Amino acid sequence: MKPRITYQPGHSVLHHLHPLVKGAWMLFGTVLVFVVPDPWAVLAVLGLVLLAFRVAGLRLGQVRGTRLFATTALLLAALQILFVRQGPVVVQIGPLAPTIGGVKAGIYVAGRFLSVVFLSYLFVLTTDPNSLAYALMQAGLPYRYGFTLITALRLVPIFEQEGQIVYNAQLARGVQYDARSPRRFLTLARQFFLPLLVSALGKVDALAVSMEGRCFGKYSTRTFLRTVHFTRQDATAAILLLLVTVATAGALAVL
Amino acid sequence: MISVEGLSFRFQGSPQYALRDVNLEISPGEFVVITGPSGCGKSTLALAIGGYLFRQYDGEATGRVRVADMDVRECPIYDVAEVVGLVQQNPEAQFCTLTVQDEVAFGLENRRLPRDEIQDRMAWALSIVGAEHLADRLLATLSGGERQKVAIAAMMAAKPQVLIFDEPTSNLDPTATAEVFQVIEHIQAKAGITVLVIEHKVDYLLPFKPRLVAMERGRIVYDGPVTQARYPGPLPAQQHLPATIGGEPVIRAEDLHVGYNATPVLQGVSLEIGPGEFVAVMGDNGSGKTTFLQSLLGLLKPTQGRVEVLGQDTHHISVSRLARQVGFVFQNPDHQLFAESVWQEATFAPRNFGALDKAAQARVEALLARCGLGDRQHDHPYRLSYGEKRRLNLISVLAYAPRLILLDELLIGQDIENATFLLELLREQVEQGDTVIMVNHHPEVTCRYASRLIFFNDGQTIVDAPTEEGFQQLAALGKEVYLPSTRRRP
Repeated sequence: MKPRITYQPGHSVLHHLHPLVKGAWMLFGTVLVFVVPDPWAVLAVLGLVLLAFRVAGLRLGQVRGTRLFATTALLLAALQILFVRQGPVVVQIGPLAPTIGGVKAGIYVAGRFLSVVFLSYLFVLTTDPNSLAYALMQAGLPYRYGFTLITALRLVPIFEQEGQIVYNAQLARGVQYDARSPRRFLTLARQFFLPLLVSALGKVDALAVSMEGRCFGKYSTRTFLRTVHFTRQDATAAILLLLVTVATAGALAVL
Repeated sequence: MISVEGLSFRFQGSPQYALRDVNLEISPGEFVVITGPSGCGKSTLALAIGGYLFRQYDGEATGRVRVADMDVRECPIYDVAEVVGLVQQNPEAQFCTLTVQDEVAFGLENRRLPRDEIQDRMAWALSIVGAEHLADRLLATLSGGERQKVAIAAMMAAKPQVLIFDEPTSNLDPTATAEVFQVIEHIQAKAGITVLVIEHKVDYLLPFKPRLVAMERGRIVYDGPVTQARYPGPLPAQQHLPATIGGEPVIRAEDLHVGYNATPVLQGVSLEIGPGEFVAVMGDNGSGKTTFLQSLLGLLKPTQGRVEVLGQDTHHISVSRLARQVGFVFQNPDHQLFAESVWQEATFAPRNFGALDKAAQARVEALLARCGLGDRQHDHPYRLSYGEKRRLNLISVLAYAPRLILLDELLIGQDIENATFLLELLREQVEQGDTVIMVNHHPEVTCRYASRLIFFNDGQTIVDAPTEEGFQQLAALGKEVYLPSTRRRP
């Protein structure tokens, strides 16, 4: 089975980049693919994102969901190519007559979709979520919100595991996952989620005792043992981002 | 240090008092063990001493609780927490962060201590629980015993005067249990703090000569030293069942390999188990016991080798078909309650299998009546007590009379009375020719009920023998903590 879409430890430049600087670059890339007017520029951004995967030592083929997103992108492109009729026909294939406008629209849609998805992948796969939460708190995010993120990160794999146990327990008791009707679907959903909900409530109780017992929330601020350092490399990346943003904004204004 | 006077508490919506007129005086530096059957009020008393009961739970309270001259009912929890630390049953549920260092530092950071002091205290806390080597680890990669040590270190870092442990070893194997109790004893001796341990496994704590407080139905019924009369010890040894009834094997495993993703767990298990056998499966957490059970129901398929159950290769049969003849009770009772009433829950599986005939209904009615749930058939299963839920779990499997019953740590959190009741039900099944395979961590239970002992170590069976011989082999292997307490060296 392919690994989950989660942090993959590594030692690349991207792994070591400050989470907030990396997040800013990701945001820039996401905005960029929606504002550039040329489909080839969108493809260029996508190419750079794929290059970043190589730099990070990651192989897209090893990540769960890649094939699904690639197929979806191809379908989106095909729909645009088939149904958008703008400009001259590129080639006549029987009844199909894709136009230049349709091909461009297809590249736009598929390129934007894949760029956004793969940028998100890149961020998630190369960023330690714990570091992200601490970086956000040290950047001024109230620590209660920061720990909401950490708690979610901690509990997700536990609930995933518990979901598998509940599913196995249901199989062992003869439950058939055959949603023949909406009513049956609701019954199956209730039978599956009720044990998880009860378990979650128990965990909330235990967690509340644990947090209050360790003075969480006693003061409006707290100290931190862990520091997410902002290095010279991070400063360089931040300045570069600033320059690229200004240059891009200027170029777009001229166009 | 701790003074509880006339404390009574009733949770909102509950007809019964969880605590009734509890009076308890504990001096500084005492080592107290609080024991009693499930639901007797032990954990509620712990929550009361920590102050949580009066802040986080709705209910009706009378009486006084004072800790280090603080009126716990009036003080904010933060103030009480400076004096009292509470280590809960499941470390997984009480962790607030993702790494060992963050977890131990968590309470200190919340108290706004400077970084240097946090580092000093963290090093001290990890060292006093013997977990310095875990400092750079992620919590998710720790074993159960290691997690509990980190949970204790996280509390110790705040340097409390009182440390309460609420069944700290209920999810641990005997090796980790012994380690955690040694850590508790070490802390008490080194730091000189007052220690309260809420625990069923009193026999592990006897060498520390604790003061014993026994509770029943919300009241303290004994308070004094541990005596033979007060604590008669674990289940007495008894004649084992006949090793086998004979006939075709129920299970035949040949070079069985099973794993999760790319991680191998079972590595070359070969054995046969016949009808009428009561097999105890023991071993450290992570040794492959649960994986073995899951592979017998086809929930996990062999990556190499094969396993036949009731003559059917699990690789070529669906779980739902196999499940008609194989019952499986999972570890956590709450993970296997799906219906809206006790009756529907008990008949859930036979209904799914299309086998809810009159005979099955009569069987369920008889089982419910025998388990004290006859008049609770219309109640929601989640309204039952922990022990009652466990009985219902077992009834819902026995309801369709499977020939093979697989039990994964059925006895976790069960007091002796509940455990004995469940085991007697199982013994009857075995006497009728059914096969029972039970993962458990209780040597006394194995000694008394099992006809055969299988011990897993790193995915392999290192002991597979009739129970008595199995214990002798375990003793020779140095697995002292897996022997009945009467056979352990002092």
